[in-house]
Amino acid sequence: MVNIRPARVDDLMGMQACNLHNLPENYTLKYYMYHSLTWPQLSYVAEDEGKVVGYILAKMEEDVPEGDEPHGHVTSISVLRSYRRLGLANRLMIQSQEAMATVYKAAYVSLHVRKSNRAALGLYRDTLGFTVKDIEKGYYADGEDAYAMRLSLKHLAR
Amino acid sequence: MPPAGIPPSRALPLKESGLFKEVLHYYEDRQLKKGLKTADAILKKFPNHGETLCMKGLILTHLGRREEGLELVKQGVRLDLTSHICWHVFGLIQKGQKNYEEALKSYTQALRFDKENMNILRDAAHLQTQLRLYDGLVETRHTLLRLRPQLRQNWIALAVAYHLSGNLAEAKSVLEQYERIVKNVPDYDVEMSEILLYHVRVLEELGEYADALSLLDANAKSRAIIDRVAIQEFRARILSKAGKDEAQQAWQGLIEQNPNCWDYYKGYLASRGIDLEAITDEQRDQALHSLHDFSAQFPKASAPLRIALEIAQGDKFTKLVQPYLKTRLEKGVPSLFADLKSLYRSSSKRDTIEQTVTSLLSTLVHPATSPSPPDTDPTEYIWALYYLAQHHSFLGSHKKAIELLDEAIGHTPTLPELYMFKARVLKRAGDPFGAAKNMDLARTLDLQDRFLNTKAGKYRLRAGLIDEAVEVFGLFTKKDAPSPSQDLEDMQSLIYLTEEADAQLRNGNLAMALKKYDAIHRIFDVFEDDQFDFHGYSVRKFTINIYLNLIKWEDNLRSHPAYVHSAIEASRILVKVHDDPSLATKPSSESELSKKQKKKAKRAEKKVQEEAKKANQNSANEDKGLDIGPLKDEDPDGTKLLQASDPLERAAKVLKPLTTMAKDNIDAWLAIHDVAVRRKRYLQAIQALNRAHALNADSPELHFRLVDFQRRWTSLTDKPSENAASAALSAIQKLIPDEVSLEVFNSQYLQRHSSRADAVLAAAKVSRTLGAPREEVEASIFTALNADTELKLETALAIVAFLTEIRSQRAEEFRAACRAKFQLSTLFVPPEDLAAAQKAVVQKDPVADAVEEKAEIIS
Repeated sequence: MVNIRPARVDDLMGMQACNLHNLPENYTLKYYMYHSLTWPQLSYVAEDEGKVVGYILAKMEEDVPEGDEPHGHVTSISVLRSYRRLGLANRLMIQSQEAMATVYKAAYVSLHVRKSNRAALGLYRDTLGFTVKDIEKGYYADGEDAYAMRLSLKHLAR
Repeated sequence: MPPAGIPPSRALPLKESGLFKEVLHYYEDRQLKKGLKTADAILKKFPNHGETLCMKGLILTHLGRREEGLELVKQGVRLDLTSHICWHVFGLIQKGQKNYEEALKSYTQALRFDKENMNILRDAAHLQTQLRLYDGLVETRHTLLRLRPQLRQNWIALAVAYHLSGNLAEAKSVLEQYERIVKNVPDYDVEMSEILLYHVRVLEELGEYADALSLLDANAKSRAIIDRVAIQEFRARILSKAGKDEAQQAWQGLIEQNPNCWDYYKGYLASRGIDLEAITDEQRDQALHSLHDFSAQFPKASAPLRIALEIAQGDKFTKLVQPYLKTRLEKGVPSLFADLKSLYRSSSKRDTIEQTVTSLLSTLVHPATSPSPPDTDPTEYIWALYYLAQHHSFLGSHKKAIELLDEAIGHTPTLPELYMFKARVLKRAGDPFGAAKNMDLARTLDLQDRFLNTKAGKYRLRAGLIDEAVEVFGLFTKKDAPSPSQDLEDMQSLIYLTEEADAQLRNGNLAMALKKYDAIHRIFDVFEDDQFDFHGYSVRKFTINIYLNLIKWEDNLRSHPAYVHSAIEASRILVKVHDDPSLATKPSSESELSKKQKKKAKRAEKKVQEEAKKANQNSANEDKGLDIGPLKDEDPDGTKLLQASDPLERAAKVLKPLTTMAKDNIDAWLAIHDVAVRRKRYLQAIQALNRAHALNADSPELHFRLVDFQRRWTSLTDKPSENAASAALSAIQKLIPDEVSLEVFNSQYLQRHSSRADAVLAAAKVSRTLGAPREEVEASIFTALNADTELKLETALAIVAFLTEIRSQRAEEFRAACRAKFQLSTLFVPPEDLAAAQKAVVQKDPVADAVEEKAEIIS
């Protein structure tokens, strides 16, 4: 039985393990701590009997250029292959976006996706309603380009 | 004349005094080269000026000349023992070395000579937190607040200090004072919101629920607290604790906000007096009714449906589980079995599920010769087979599971999940080689998926194919890392390190196994260090609630299974080396690196060196910081680590956290005993056996050690002091009665547990150490094959290993019996065939080989 809830400190190692299992972009634990201890409301996990099977690691953009509005950023989101087709990524994303909008008045949320990662692109664009804003050349360590995507959160503002 | 209070040896003439101020400025701005030059100018005239020596040492350390820097700092401190600068610098260096205890001592010295230095006080507070010296922390935070009451963080930091020291009442009072004086809080201030939520938590922990609720409600209403999820969670939780009726509504609000969180439903039901663990029949209907309503309200949410399955019984369960299974099989939800597994505690639910899926399948099956009827969905058919395979494998029928999977694969050969699970079944059935092969098939069906890739690597490790595993891992690790293993270690992959260490151990390579376990221990050290920066950061950001959770989590860090496992295994290796030091010196065949590997290692090393050179060229003035970075790996195959002196002391050190962090783990206590008894800490050893006895009095591993301890004790020539001896003696007598001989003790144990193969093995090992002839031991051990004896695969393997160890002629006979008993297993073939089975797993890819050859020629 999968449970969706705000991430806690004792989830961070599980989130890190889940990320390493699924994705090529990895981080040391301290980076997860930094997210959680700066924006404790924004990260969520999907958990099955204590095991993290999916997560969203999110933050607020810290250096907002003048004229731009405050906005959230998804550092990493993934769900174990064995827990697909439950709509977990969608649910995680929605909870995080709510918190971005209500706690930090985020106007929109942004994320990066590898150009070659068609599955993720499909999820963000077709299921979650993101649009491609830009292409960032050589964004990833191995030189691959990234799509910079974003989604307005204006409808959540209260 | 120097100003009053300054010792003559510190006083500098006007010019040099100005230069010294420049050194400090350069250092602050990290203009390290200039700082160094200026310091040298002073030292030319005053070579014994302590503060300048310390500053020079500090700068050199930043420049990466650590040893030289440290020497100068020590010299400087000796020359000026009453300078706060000297002690501060020394403290900084020690902090960079993660030597927090010594660093705090230096800071304390520095504070003696400069009582109100804010920087030193703040650093000291962080060190006190890291070292959990909370009384001292309260004092330091008090001083800081007295010096700078206008700084908001100083108030909060004092409250936190009180909280950590266990004085919640004072924490509360500080927060109240703070809230009274704080002015000009902007609207919608996240920081104030966090502080108020922290205040609510303090009241909650004090049990002052009414106050907590009114503080929460007032500030939620005025929008001073803006985190809505936190407001609702706090409210629901505190209302429940206070036994208020409004709790129900509060939980309902949370469910509306996130209808997929099990905790909210639990809270909701509890607020209606329904405890899921102890539910009455009347409540059952009430609960099902509520859950039904929630399902109607949130048709997409799984949680209310799934919780209902937990509660419903009999026909109601059947009625609910049928559509639950049907929709998920249609959709092809791979986690369906994992989702329902916990219902299997009830055999009637288990049978209902099996019947439902089986009959569903029968409506979808059609003869293989005729085309599939147009109205059946192949997806549902495949996923029903997949579910049943998991079901039967879980119940121990591996053969049945394989048949079902093969049927599904015959129909849809492109679905990775089918091969993945087939691999898992084979692994469980004792065929790690077939398992690895199938996992590789899964991987090749979707080469873009790191999940499949990780699994394939893990299964190769399980099959003992370490190089081949690393090769697969390398498909997704960073290309600029020195090696795939290094990247995974840098990214703190505990799963990889654990699996590789275990694989090395199974392959008999103690050195590499120990090296990987050691890497795990060092990662936990890093995790412990990671909190350091947050001692200052969190009070600046005011995210106190989560920070306090971090501290608590850190306090229990080494209860993590990865640490517990690696500590126990590492200690076992070290004990082995203590018992037989030749293990550390004779190169095992495995640890001889293959030629190809050596070449690879060389290439990787070259790459690292080149990069280091490049980095050096760009960074003549670059600040390398005070923290000690990763050191070069001087011990690539782990032999130095294995040969290092004091194996028992090292084992005791890694085990130490387990005495509090793994209190309920019998293996931990047995490992602690094994080390203690060899260190001649007999009382500690017998206490550990006592703890193990309390956890599982019948454990075979414990039985073996009880006898072993008794023998060591009686043959002891230099018994410990009388008090210790009598304490130990009375403890032993509780575990082994005095009046029976060890032989009798052993046969009594065997009689009690003759239907357990692991007990049979333990008793055989004991009688062997008591000098029983080999034939007798063998005869006894073969009773493990009796029809009414429970023989698990792992025990069978342990028996084979023991027979080999005592050079039994009957090992092959035992293996043959196991081949008949564990038909899917490939582990009971004669040793020489085992290697061939292993090799057959990875079919070499000729193209990849050619590419590799080419790369070697070019480099």
